[in-house]
Amino acid sequence: MRLNLIGLLFGSLFGGVLAASNLHEYDTIHAMLRLQEFDVFWFMGSAIAVSAPLLWWLERRGLVTPLGGALTLSRSRPERHHVVGGALFGIGWAVAGTCPAPALVMISSGAALGLVALAGIFLGLWVHGRATNSDTHVGDGEHRTTSV
Amino acid sequence: MFDVLPDRLPWFVGGPILGLLIVGLFAIANQPLGASGAYVHTMGLLTRRTEVVVWRVWYFVGLLVGGLVVTQVLRSGAEMRSGYDALRDVFPLWATVGLVFAGATLLGFGAAKAGGCTSGHGMCGTAQRSPASLTVTATFMSTAIATTFVLHLLTGGDL
Repeated sequence: MRLNLIGLLFGSLFGGVLAASNLHEYDTIHAMLRLQEFDVFWFMGSAIAVSAPLLWWLERRGLVTPLGGALTLSRSRPERHHVVGGALFGIGWAVAGTCPAPALVMISSGAALGLVALAGIFLGLWVHGRATNSDTHVGDGEHRTTSV
Repeated sequence: MFDVLPDRLPWFVGGPILGLLIVGLFAIANQPLGASGAYVHTMGLLTRRTEVVVWRVWYFVGLLVGGLVVTQVLRSGAEMRSGYDALRDVFPLWATVGLVFAGATLLGFGAAKAGGCTSGHGMCGTAQRSPASLTVTATFMSTAIATTFVLHLLTGGDL
């Protein structure tokens, strides 16, 4: 219950930051990947620069989180599926000019093409789920085994 | 509705806020702020699968709500912007729809195979200093930039 509220809150804040930074627009992503404008690289870089040392410090302190037990950061070894999946993801990202979180913000902004992107992402995830007979892939991304 | 936000939040404001959100979700719930997992569990709910992580569905809803608040309430005008101007200048609508759908399908499949997307691996994973996430991020950045330049050449420099 409390976790659901946290999910809604963090989703809203993340969506709000993406919208305020215009990351839901194809033109922003395209200009970044054309290497015409470096704002998005700086955006991602500064997010990591802020979070990486704080996470390192919290893990070292042995933080026990209120809703998820002891803080455990994951550091898996790269495997083949990471490279293949990442490569396909990058091609799709460049063509569609959006990725999972910004696509939802695109819909909120009133852009109908966001619905096309949403349908495509669902199809891609579904096809992969059918092909591997499991819809959760364990990794350092968000697909964790610990389901709380 | 209101006009309280600039046309575009500068990166040195938005980036650090996002960094704090990543730390916040780890510190409260020991979970990464990844978006493709939210899709997986929302799809799981819609197809009535059993092992659905419900808070990820709320997170999915939250992304829509946050986008709605910023684009429709906190910004004036709130004009319908697809942001696909660059693509629409080059291609007719049917081709744009086809490209967006094909690209989205490919990125959905790739995110499932890699176990995360720009948020899960690109930001949360690299912030954890995960070798797997660094590999995924370096790979998708490379193929995305290469694909963009291929499209640029194929369209005779229009895109």
